[in-house]
Amino acid sequence: MTVEKNMDDNVIGRAASSINDENFIKEQERLLPIANVGRIMKGILPSNAKISKDSKETMQECVSEFISFVTSEASDKCRKERRKTVNGDDVCWALETLGFDDFAGPIRRYLHRYREIEVDRANQDRVRNIVDDDQREA
Amino acid sequence: MRQAGIYSGVVSGGRSGPHLLPLARIKKIMKKSGDDVKMVSGEAPIVFSKACELFIEELTQRSWTVAMQRKKKTLHKEDVASAVLATDILDFLVNLVSDSNNPLDLAPVERETLVS
Repeated sequence: MTVEKNMDDNVIGRAASSINDENFIKEQERLLPIANVGRIMKGILPSNAKISKDSKETMQECVSEFISFVTSEASDKCRKERRKTVNGDDVCWALETLGFDDFAGPIRRYLHRYREIEVDRANQDRVRNIVDDDQREA
Repeated sequence: MRQAGIYSGVVSGGRSGPHLLPLARIKKIMKKSGDDVKMVSGEAPIVFSKACELFIEELTQRSWTVAMQRKKKTLHKEDVASAVLATDILDFLVNLVSDSNNPLDLAPVERETLVS
């Protein structure tokens, strides 16, 4: 009798722990990684500053809420304009509308630079293909 | 061969150091924000990766100002909460930073109103 009870407890224990694992994974997926968040925080503070774990966790939560908040605004705009896809310009517009207009300049520069790099890469691939063809003919 | 240096430079925000935030995770969080968010274009997570970096920097700086006023060398959750309360555009975070264990301190003016 005692042996059977112990076995039931083990089964229940394992099931509970795997549910906890699943919940943990789901929880982590709705947050940005604490290491990345912590690194950005550290980068802006003086070198003697210390950062508690609870402040990093709070920051993780705040960033996810920020993403949801801005995305909802961008998504509303798309719906009103009968568009299905939320694009980069929609996000920029939402940021400005919600009061984060200081971000607009740096983001535009970042995006511009990103697009430049993509074009460069595409051109490099094209040049490389031409060079390969030439070498093969020779 | 890819010139990793140039690409990772931009992806990490144009400054030296590792890339900052995972785009796939950002996209996941965007999709969870509402049922009607079904399709997200390639550039939207890129915009957010920079926006989130700026957001974290802004909130961290404000929180640190509070910590310094409290003569502390370590940033704590309460400092972040105070910075949120003091900043209008961060109103959407007010409920998130307060919880039932630590009810928000009412401003002195409101407290007087209640007492009378």
